[in-house]
Amino acid sequence: MVAFRNSDPSGRTSGLLLRCVLYSLLALGLIIVDKRYDHLGKIRRWLSIVAYPAQVAVESPFAGWHWFRESVSTRDALREDNARLQAALRLAQFKLQRYEALEAETVRLRALRTNTGEVATRFVIGDIMDVDLDAFRERVLVDKGAHDGIFVGQAVLDAGGVFGQVARVEELTSEVILISDPAHAIPVQINRNGLRTIAVGTGDTSRLKLPYLPTSADVVVGDLLVTSGLGGGFPAGYPVGTVAAVKRDAAQSLADVDVRPAAALDRSRELMLAWLRPSEVLPPAPAAPAASPSPAATPSSPGTAAAHAAAAPAAKSAKSPAAKPPGGRTP
Amino acid sequence: MMRDDPIRRLPMALSALVALALAVIPLPGAVDVFRPDLLVLVVFYWSIEAPRAGGLTLAFMSGLALDVINGVVLGQHALALTLMSAWTTHLRLRLRVFSLLSQSLTIFALLTGYQFILFWIDGATGNPVTSFSRWFAPVVGAIIWPLLAGVLGRLNER
Repeated sequence: MVAFRNSDPSGRTSGLLLRCVLYSLLALGLIIVDKRYDHLGKIRRWLSIVAYPAQVAVESPFAGWHWFRESVSTRDALREDNARLQAALRLAQFKLQRYEALEAETVRLRALRTNTGEVATRFVIGDIMDVDLDAFRERVLVDKGAHDGIFVGQAVLDAGGVFGQVARVEELTSEVILISDPAHAIPVQINRNGLRTIAVGTGDTSRLKLPYLPTSADVVVGDLLVTSGLGGGFPAGYPVGTVAAVKRDAAQSLADVDVRPAAALDRSRELMLAWLRPSEVLPPAPAAPAASPSPAATPSSPGTAAAHAAAAPAAKSAKSPAAKPPGGRTP
Repeated sequence: MMRDDPIRRLPMALSALVALALAVIPLPGAVDVFRPDLLVLVVFYWSIEAPRAGGLTLAFMSGLALDVINGVVLGQHALALTLMSAWTTHLRLRLRVFSLLSQSLTIFALLTGYQFILFWIDGATGNPVTSFSRWFAPVVGAIIWPLLAGVLGRLNER
């Protein structure tokens, strides 16, 4: 038997019903106001600042442990790491040599085709905080917020590919919804043949689905999926995943395609939050938005201006993917 | 009405804060769905033990904190926790004389009611979580209730 100490159990809880009704109405009011109107953003941000120390406090033992492990790693391990990183850097530099030329070429070609697709102009690196948000939804908390210019809908990448997008912004933190969340869908295309479709999350960080491909679609195991840039949410051409399994059932009209995400959805600690268009770069950024020195803008100045000018109307018309044939001219 | 209460407020606030921290501490994915709603249990305990010390205010505030931390619509956990803790306060005299098993069963019913209100608001605001695993938490909560009540009772005797 659990012992309750209170020696006055029969004391009247005067006005219990009244207070219950009062608080319930208050909570209901909050729900309605928060859902219907967007007036609570300020209050929520303010409350989240109050909650921030608690989240940091919970995270600090883990951060301390990471720091401790790094501090006591042996010289051998460090040398091994160093050698591995230098090898990786050489490889990356080798690839980079071709990259600038390719990027300039891409910008020229896009200008010719007046197609959509933007090159990300600015990145901010964010760390995932060791805080669990909700066991049933694929979300993570990142230590960058409105203070750093993060906005809702911003594309989030990691070293492997597309990670997700920003779902909610607080003052100092923001919440990122992973591409594997069941409520998330991302427009993709198959890199091999340009076939466009939509990848939907499954709730499992190691798997996405392509639910809208007919059984006759040209898709094979090993195909690389990249973002198509349609819809304007994500920059075009970033890897999303590779096709892991294709099941074709003659009785069904749609194929059952599984995709393995390219981003390390369950392992990454550092994320890149991307700005797509120069207009999205905040005023306090190093350069004025008009003269934003994106690496893409430097090589061919006449072509780029046309590309950026064309991107704005094209992005609007791209909301309906079927309405826009590749290479078609925007009105 | 609350003249002798300040003494009891400290363990209340302290236990609520600890429970809140335990609610966001990272767990491996497989274990995460079994995480009991510790803060809810703590609020229930104080609703039984000290109904006059502002258990309902504690419930509302804790719910609001859960809303902010979970990033759901503001007021969701606050509403569920207020209603269920009011009901717990209403049942407290019976709960005190119940055997441990009956207490746990009652707590299970209250936790299930709490989850149901959350489930309902999730659906009403347009982002339903239909996974069955959300109903594991009340079971685990009911199982650890005797332990938690014992620990809090010890804390309260100080």
